Amino acid sequence: MTSVDSLYNNTLFIFFTQKSSMERTHLSPYTNHPQTTTKQPISHTYSDPGGGEAGPDNDKWASKLLLECAQSISYKDYGKINHLLWMLNELSSPYGDCDQKLAYYFLQALFCKATESGNRCYKSLISVADKSHCFDSARKLILKFQEVSPWTTFGHVASNGAILEAFDGENKLHIIDISNTLCTQWPTLLEALATRSDDTPSLKLTVVVTSTMARSVMKEITQRMEKFARLMGVPFELNLINGSNKRLWQLTKEELNVQEGEAIAVNCIGALRRVEVEDRGDVIRLFSSLNPRIVTVVEEEADFTSSRFDFVKCFEECLRYYTLYFEMLEESFTPTSNERLMLERECSRSIVRVLTCDDEQNIDSGDCERREKGNQWCERLKEHFSLVGFSDDVVDDVKALLKRYRTGWSLAHDRTNSNEDSGMMLAWKDEPVVWASAWKP
Amino acid sequence: MIDKLVTEENITSNGFSNTNNLPPASSFPPPIKKKRNLPGTPGMYHTSNSYPEAEVIALSPKTLMATNRFMCEICGKGFQRDQNLQLHRRGHNLPWKLKQRTSKEVRKRVYVCPEKSCVHNHPSRALGDLTGIKKHFCRKHGEKKWKCAKCSKCYAVQSDWKAHSKTCGTREYKCDCGTIFSRRDSFITHRAFCDALAEETARVTAASHFNNVTPSGSVGNINYHFVGPPVLAGPTMAHHFSNSSSIFKPILTNPENHLDPTQQDGLSLWTSSNNNSNGNVNNNELRDLHQLGHQNHPSHSEYQPNWGVFGVKNTSDHDPNVSAPPSLLSTLNNLPQTHASASMSATALLQKAAQMGSTSSATTNHTSFLGSFGVNSSNNYNITTDTVATHVQDENKFCGLYGTSPMMNSYRGSELENDFSSLDEMYPPSKRRHIHVEEHHGGQTRDFLGVGIQPISHPRIRFDHV
Repeated sequence: MTSVDSLYNNTLFIFFTQKSSMERTHLSPYTNHPQTTTKQPISHTYSDPGGGEAGPDNDKWASKLLLECAQSISYKDYGKINHLLWMLNELSSPYGDCDQKLAYYFLQALFCKATESGNRCYKSLISVADKSHCFDSARKLILKFQEVSPWTTFGHVASNGAILEAFDGENKLHIIDISNTLCTQWPTLLEALATRSDDTPSLKLTVVVTSTMARSVMKEITQRMEKFARLMGVPFELNLINGSNKRLWQLTKEELNVQEGEAIAVNCIGALRRVEVEDRGDVIRLFSSLNPRIVTVVEEEADFTSSRFDFVKCFEECLRYYTLYFEMLEESFTPTSNERLMLERECSRSIVRVLTCDDEQNIDSGDCERREKGNQWCERLKEHFSLVGFSDDVVDDVKALLKRYRTGWSLAHDRTNSNEDSGMMLAWKDEPVVWASAWKP
Repeated sequence: MIDKLVTEENITSNGFSNTNNLPPASSFPPPIKKKRNLPGTPGMYHTSNSYPEAEVIALSPKTLMATNRFMCEICGKGFQRDQNLQLHRRGHNLPWKLKQRTSKEVRKRVYVCPEKSCVHNHPSRALGDLTGIKKHFCRKHGEKKWKCAKCSKCYAVQSDWKAHSKTCGTREYKCDCGTIFSRRDSFITHRAFCDALAEETARVTAASHFNNVTPSGSVGNINYHFVGPPVLAGPTMAHHFSNSSSIFKPILTNPENHLDPTQQDGLSLWTSSNNNSNGNVNNNELRDLHQLGHQNHPSHSEYQPNWGVFGVKNTSDHDPNVSAPPSLLSTLNNLPQTHASASMSATALLQKAAQMGSTSSATTNHTSFLGSFGVNSSNNYNITTDTVATHVQDENKFCGLYGTSPMMNSYRGSELENDFSSLDEMYPPSKRRHIHVEEHHGGQTRDFLGVGIQPISHPRIRFDHV
């Protein structure tokens, strides 16, 4: 465990003992086995603290425990809270199976919520991550993830396909990239630009960096991209814009380097959710003001926004989403993968941020992390744009992409709202997980 | 008319006859099917050049695509093959007289493509095989109805599609860093971020500092930016990745390409590793490159001899002061970065360049090489001096770097004159003066073979420059 984790664990015990001295006897881990405490109405899942063992009672014990704890927190049943937190602490592990991992990472958030130390916790998590963040590790991580899972590449293929089609015939291309992809989307686009016709257009890429952590690696990435573009023979220019020290929607055309005669595309992958909820409309308006040919939006399918004032509801949705994500990670990577561990750790930051941090406190590092579902984004985007369906070719490309990965992935066409298309949905074991869409003004 | 054309081309075809012995550029990394006749290369297959008295047939698209070309005169039934028709006719119990086929000597027929904008529309570029012209018409001007299920690549000709489907997904991509990929997209993404790529540029940057020779345009500018995209840009790595058979773009395009200083761009990248003078690396590289997704493995064995001929020998009589980097750089500067070795990976090319820079020039090789390309028949040269000269010179170096590609591709390209011109550029300036180089340089696509030429031409060029 990291030092932060052990700190918290120690604090946990201290806190509990202080807060509820009456129930001290119940709390001491050294004398009391959970089974022996009978003060709390404990569900049957406590019968096997070992966790991970087969048995109907042990399936999904984590979600049960976690949900109960969340509920206890919401109605401030401190006794129960303490107890459950202690239980989870015993059972959880970042190196165990899915349940244990979920228990571990959500426990951290629950603890912060209970102690109202979310902001502090988040800040320290960020600083720890910052220190260990470097180009090599980031590159290795993201490329490995793309190798084993189409979670991100799905969005890349869909967006690139839509962009290429929208840019057909143009020869001065300008893509404004506001994403979390670290430019891994662009090599295949560059290759496609180079090979698809005799007339290779020039590409200008303006990357808006919204996360402080990404900034350090972006410089290196810029160089690599430029080299690669040269290799491909595509006239290329990459500019980095710092979008983390100000509100995203405050960027101007000049800052984004938009010029006459360029065909503009706005590519927004995994970034809209990082915008503060109130600012999202403004950001979309900004996109519209750039008069782009196409806007591609890819987001993970989860709703942490509409329930942001309801802790339990938000918690449930978080739990549902991250359970899917962790299960997907577990099945995609090898059991001892370091990369998977790193990805899981990154989740802990998001979880803490969403569940325990005050939005009003304005953490202002561009990482709100409150996801919205596809249909919610559609409502927002519809104000300034109209949906462009993905062409058959792009759909075929995506299908071909999915075939290259392990089974479990499929395309779900989301037509629940209306008869019309509302983008493409990547599904993992029939659960929608990533939503991709293309829009035009 | 045709006769006249044919005559000219016959000469050249003789001159080029040796090219058939050389590994056709098509066989090296640019994944072109082995059997394909090199566009523009008169050669093994029936073309109007091989048959000067051939009758040129221009079929309409409808007729071309008609499935039943052979009609029975008795009942009007149509057949796809002549043999089938004959078989059918037997069934009609014809009297002996009518049984015989027309005694008229069947003239050799060559076919032109009905598409007016197509290069094969011209009688001199007609194809002798009807099936060939049908396939050509479909491929170039037809609708792509066949789609690969795995990678969703589209084809107009069913046999192409079938052939692709067999190999799709089975090919392996190897990065310079040693990692092997089965998926093309992950290979591309990896390549973009690979450290191997970074190293090349580091070397280039270092090299660029030495560069004083800037015939035109600024080196700095060129090193890092691609300005003014040459039309033919891209094939380098891109083609290396792609399976497409259109590796060799029509050479014609922009004659000005190479003249534009700004187009020198990326090639400066290639200056790279002048430091490596390891002749033995070549063969290994060749193999590596071969692995880089091309379909014709045997080709590399054909390459060996050529490679040897042009000797990536370690230099001995090489002027120590001649630093490979500068000259290479300057060459590269002027080169349209276009077809920089469609097939070779950047790293490989850079390494080749390094070797080239350090190898000695083999005069004899010069002659023989050039001779083999039939440069002697220089009736196609016109000079456009100054502007061309400098560029040409630089281009030579570059061409050398990339080896025969310019030549090979020029063969494939449009006019044969282009071939010579680019060939000529590879020659040392002294010789160049004697030969007129046509401004229109075809075949920017580079091919592996030519790599070996660099050492030969390059040092000489250097010296002459000095």
